[in-house]
Amino acid sequence: MALALRQLCAIALATWVEAIQQPVALLVQLTAVVMTLLVPVFQLHRFGEEGRLARDSGLSCMLVFGLVLAAGTAGRSVADEIARGTASAAIGKPVARATFLCAKWLGVFGVVAVFWSAVLAATLLSERCSAHFVVQEDFAGYATDPRTLALSLAGVAVGLLVAAARHFFWRRRFGVTAFLGVALSQILVSVLSGFYNRFGQFFAARGESACGCGGEHLHALLDWHPGLNGRVVAAAVLVLLALAVFAALATALATRLQTGAALAVCALALLLGLAGDTFAVNASVLSARGVAAGLLPDVQHFWMCDALANGGRIAWSYVGAVSAYAVTCCAIFLTAGCLSFRGRDLG
Amino acid sequence: MDADNVIETHGARKVFRDFWRRPVVEAVKGLDLTVRRGEVYGLLGPNGSGKSTTIKMLLGLLRPTSGTLCVFGAPPSDTQAKSRIGYLPEVSHLHPFLTPRETLMYYASLFGLGREDARRRTEELLKMVDLDHAADRAVGRFSKGMARRVGLAQALVNAPELLILDEPTSGLDPIGCREVKDLVRLLAKDGVSVLMTSHLLADVEDVCDRVAIMDRGELRAEGRIGELLRQPDAVRFLVAGLDEQAVAALRGTIESRVGHPVQQDYPSMSLEAYFLQVVASDGRLRAFEVAPFLKRQENAGAETRHA
Repeated sequence: MALALRQLCAIALATWVEAIQQPVALLVQLTAVVMTLLVPVFQLHRFGEEGRLARDSGLSCMLVFGLVLAAGTAGRSVADEIARGTASAAIGKPVARATFLCAKWLGVFGVVAVFWSAVLAATLLSERCSAHFVVQEDFAGYATDPRTLALSLAGVAVGLLVAAARHFFWRRRFGVTAFLGVALSQILVSVLSGFYNRFGQFFAARGESACGCGGEHLHALLDWHPGLNGRVVAAAVLVLLALAVFAALATALATRLQTGAALAVCALALLLGLAGDTFAVNASVLSARGVAAGLLPDVQHFWMCDALANGGRIAWSYVGAVSAYAVTCCAIFLTAGCLSFRGRDLG
Repeated sequence: MDADNVIETHGARKVFRDFWRRPVVEAVKGLDLTVRRGEVYGLLGPNGSGKSTTIKMLLGLLRPTSGTLCVFGAPPSDTQAKSRIGYLPEVSHLHPFLTPRETLMYYASLFGLGREDARRRTEELLKMVDLDHAADRAVGRFSKGMARRVGLAQALVNAPELLILDEPTSGLDPIGCREVKDLVRLLAKDGVSVLMTSHLLADVEDVCDRVAIMDRGELRAEGRIGELLRQPDAVRFLVAGLDEQAVAALRGTIESRVGHPVQQDYPSMSLEAYFLQVVASDGRLRAFEVAPFLKRQENAGAETRHA
């Protein structure tokens, strides 16, 4: 058991390092983060609520690009490794095939988790940077937050520059530092943005809180009031659970299919899963529609973006219930993957 | 299974099938093979003869269509048996973004070695395969020969009792080939059983105790090299320091005895030996040293098994 656990960690770590190094992983992460951050710049409509477009776009980017990353990484780390022979090199050692496959999923999920944290931070920042109606002593009207937006974009650039410098001077891996650096930069900017309001005034100096409640904070050296929408976190956790399920599905599919085919099946599962409550309505359990609805993960459970509209909240008890559903889906897909992989010839 | 045998196959057969499960090719046809403890066994054959398929079946990577295969008395998929095997594939399948040091640490962890033990073995192996100077470069940028050395090192990380080498000298320069052959000899001396395949017949001839020749999935010949290659009606004398007169006298004596002319030649060294002699003058040919942990075969093997 201890040996299996050690093997699991070793293979998962190698998969994580290998996957995170792929240029396509960094490209997907950069695209999702930058697209999310730029929403406030090109926003022309509020959709009835301040910051809603930025929030919805961020969560959409998280789901769609996350799916591409999860399926692509699973395909590369399972299907490509089977084709390239690195899988047989590991299976030739005293490693059970089930351990190998579960470790691959764990490694893929690790990559997705870093991506998720970057896009979550970018979504929170993007919502903050969107135009909000602000009333102060000297100002009343819509105000964006260009400083935070500039800091966020600069954070992306700094992440890449640090990675380049580490690669140039110390021969450290560019891909790993850049991927982690971009995520870390967005998290840091999220924390930093709590020290000033959207006009760039530090709370301690100005003596006010971000919520505009007028509290005095002059005695504090630095006062921190995150002007971020914490309600997004629960919706983002649901998306992360969906990505874990799709990573498991892609890992299972990659034991028999090539990366492109696995990605296509995952995309189809996403579409049908989102439309599950429509096409499966009134379907009997034994009908084709009913069976399909039973087999496919119900993505509606994971997509709770609309629940956040107009100050709505997602209960953490609901997130807990969906977590149990996601764990069950992952277990089913990985079991199917292990069964499929058990009979697979590794040439 | 005989306790003295590390590998036994009986009627092993492998048929590759297409997507619709239709047979495409019968790669191995009823193979009976036995490798004894402590011997170096060579598996020879032209391309497509079934050598690599046999090896992959022995490692549990391919499932036999019929027949039985046993390694250390267990089926090939048994992880306990696999923990006693070192395997060098035909192509060194390595993670391109990992460095040799990380690669060896990774494989050591798959055998359950502790961090310190893994680190010590990694350093010893890197030194043994002469890659300590490139230990922190990604293997994806390595030449084929360097990647082969990493592959060889990973095959030895568990101090195996059975070493399976698929074309071990492929991609190596003559110095590397010589080192691999030295290594095989030294490991065999320490009691390690070796099963190797090679297209380079001279390599097999240099190191193997017994060979089998496969063709189109069938075993065509098997036996000790000396027995297989012996020409019972011919004798060769190799003598140094004879002058022309003595040579002529000897030749006359032999010809009068056998009643027909005899062949006389002046042996030259092999091209490999000449090449190594030239390179040795540059000091590039180092004294080959087996990693210290491999010398303590009994202890290291037991240590790995208990890990």
